[in-house]
Amino acid sequence: MRSFGVATSWLAASVAAAALIAVPTAKAQEDFPTKPVEMTILFGGTAQTIGQLLADLMSKELGQPVVPVSRTGGGGAIGYSHVHSTRPDGYNIVWNSNSISSGYHQGNLPFNYEAFEPIARVTVEVPALAVRADSGWESLSDMVEAVKSGETKLKMGASGQGSFTDLTAKALFQELGIEDKVVYVPYGDGKAPVELLAGRVDAAIQWPGQFIPHVQSGDLKMLCVTGSERVEVIDDVPTCAEAGAGDLDITMWRGLAAPEGTPQEVVEKLQEAARKAAESDQLKDASGKLGFEISFMDAQEFGELIAKDDEVIAELLKSGN
Amino acid sequence: MDALLSALPLVADPSVLLAILVGSLIGLIFGSVPGLTYSLALAVVLPMTFQLPTVAAVGMLLGTYIGGMTGGSVAAILIGIPGTPSAAATVLDGYPLARTGRAGLALGTAVLVSTFGGLFSLAVMIVSVDFVSGIAIKFGPAELFALVLFGLSTICGLAEKSLLRGLIAGVIGLLVMTVGLDAIDGVQRMTFGSTAFLQGVDLLVAMVGLFAVPQIMQTLIDWRRGREIRLEAGDVRSEMPKWSELRRNFGVIVRSAALGTGIGAIPGTGGPIAAFLAYDQARRFSKNKEKFGKGELAGVIAPETANNSVTGGSMIPLLSLGIPGDPATAIILGGLLIHGLTPGPLLFMEHKTEVYTIYLSIVVAYVAILAFQYFGIKLFVRVLRVPPHILSVVIGVLCVIGTFAIRNSFFDVYVMMTIGLLGYLLMRARIPVTPIILGLVLGPTLEREFRTALILSDGSYAIFFQSTAALIFFALTILIIAFHFIGQTRARRAAPNAKASIDAG
Repeated sequence: MRSFGVATSWLAASVAAAALIAVPTAKAQEDFPTKPVEMTILFGGTAQTIGQLLADLMSKELGQPVVPVSRTGGGGAIGYSHVHSTRPDGYNIVWNSNSISSGYHQGNLPFNYEAFEPIARVTVEVPALAVRADSGWESLSDMVEAVKSGETKLKMGASGQGSFTDLTAKALFQELGIEDKVVYVPYGDGKAPVELLAGRVDAAIQWPGQFIPHVQSGDLKMLCVTGSERVEVIDDVPTCAEAGAGDLDITMWRGLAAPEGTPQEVVEKLQEAARKAAESDQLKDASGKLGFEISFMDAQEFGELIAKDDEVIAELLKSGN
Repeated sequence: MDALLSALPLVADPSVLLAILVGSLIGLIFGSVPGLTYSLALAVVLPMTFQLPTVAAVGMLLGTYIGGMTGGSVAAILIGIPGTPSAAATVLDGYPLARTGRAGLALGTAVLVSTFGGLFSLAVMIVSVDFVSGIAIKFGPAELFALVLFGLSTICGLAEKSLLRGLIAGVIGLLVMTVGLDAIDGVQRMTFGSTAFLQGVDLLVAMVGLFAVPQIMQTLIDWRRGREIRLEAGDVRSEMPKWSELRRNFGVIVRSAALGTGIGAIPGTGGPIAAFLAYDQARRFSKNKEKFGKGELAGVIAPETANNSVTGGSMIPLLSLGIPGDPATAIILGGLLIHGLTPGPLLFMEHKTEVYTIYLSIVVAYVAILAFQYFGIKLFVRVLRVPPHILSVVIGVLCVIGTFAIRNSFFDVYVMMTIGLLGYLLMRARIPVTPIILGLVLGPTLEREFRTALILSDGSYAIFFQSTAALIFFALTILIIAFHFIGQTRARRAAPNAKASIDAG
């Protein structure tokens, strides 16, 4: 039986060779995946944990293991470059984020989002602005008033230049019209919340999950979240737009993409596997605990979103420097 | 007490014990192979814990972390290549001990003091978590800069004979770490426009290159020339440390444990810094300073106690503030979160039982590692009976696999080889390697904290002189440098014709 199978595939291979091997056959796409799919992960921390979990869930759907491989460094540039250089057959995908746009517009990537085929958006994370509970600022407008009338500049903690929280901070203060009275202090490794607790900075923009324990203990207070809608786990915190920051809407998404030219059928299979994973109880359970939201978007919509966000980020990085 | 009693049966569950044992073993293996680290082991183990119940999952992660931290000493002592950055200081005296056939003694001592250090830091954590995290939070960028500068001053002690050569080495280390994307301004530095260079030089990659490549080259050259040094089978003893020896070094052990716990509690520092500082203080206060670097047991005791004390110390900011001190604890944080244990002030109120299961898991992990290592030593030392030229080929292969595996990057393998070749040339030029390592370890933190402090103060240098902690560390730095010069001048007067004085000039 086995030798027969080998013989047929040998025959099939010869036929395929005759019909130009380089072109992936329709048969190969139907069978996808016939070997493990490699998912490149660009960052450590939450990005890595969600990516590993998603890979685990997608393995069950695809019937082939999805292997999360961490290629960190260069603000995502290393991982994007790797996936970009692989064959567009769906066996190499990247757990991507807005970093594709910030990396490109900062000159760290020689190609932009168009070098990738979007598969699906899976999660979103919305940054939050927090201050100390004893700061006396009850709302965003209290803080803005104090900064406008005060002599000293507001010290604002976020992650390093060009990171998502840094971009968010700049967008927020531009919208509020007080950007020249703010000092941006870049911290690595998510240290901004502690620096805020210790009083070395006056405000911080990071992910809600990093603030929640300190809000519950009464040390910190979140003034607003930067998306267009409130965040489920902290629905008493207004959006920055509601709190007076114009129509600010900044959300970080994470999703999957494959190199440009990946066959449509393959993209659809991956998209459906991601959809099932997004609907699973396990991911839902993890979202509450890790502090992200599940927000599935199919390839089409996801592609439009990436293009729209790319313009916003390009604009922000231009005015920020 | 109630929490302890309810936690006990949870951890004593056979499946939980098994999870901790498996984690410890994985950690030990990853820690002992040069190039594979506990950070990598944790990344491999984390997905395995998704399906496990909370207590077993957290136990497995902690076992991996602790096993990796302890296992680093095995390769450091046996083959002179640290299994993890935290074990770099252990090479200094551990390897010479192994070369004289006393590997068993060094390994046995290392595992005993590691366990002591780990349990000591755990005890400190249990009784004073709030107090210590209150102090740790006071360490802002200015204080961290002062602390790291103090760490750099240990170059004086590690520079061997010539301070000038030591400083050259230190600067090379600092320089290498600036390659890549700068973390503060997002600017490319020394990347030559290449994307691959953006990822910069990984600490471990550089370290494997510096320790392993020159050694492999030297071994093969010696073998070609028929000058290979082999240990006779009879010379490799699995001798165990005697209590009297440990008692004699009791002061070193306690000081190193306290130092490691303290450093571990300050986010942004970690095992390597603690190990080097502990080594330096052990040498400084020792009666037989000149024996350090040639196989002094205290030179193994100090770094090994300190780097394991970091495990308990780093749990303090991790559990009480939710702040991971290094990449390894960041992965543990992910594991805690996914199982619904959100670190922070409330963890100790709402999840008291779980917190005690964490404490107990750490104890179980240490007991397991002590047992594994103790019985493993007889096996480990057999490595030394392999002819060095064959062993060095095996090590070479492991180093390539290991450096590739860190970030799945071939660029890292080339970096390892390039830095290794550079290391060999530096060795021939009698530039000591250890200060390079110190520059590599401390460079990124030194620069980041210095710049962040100046951003905070809007460019005013006054920020460095406004806090007591920073002033204390600056004073200590100046003291160490002053003592070094006084000591050198005296030595020069005592022996005007000594070679050392010519070297120093």
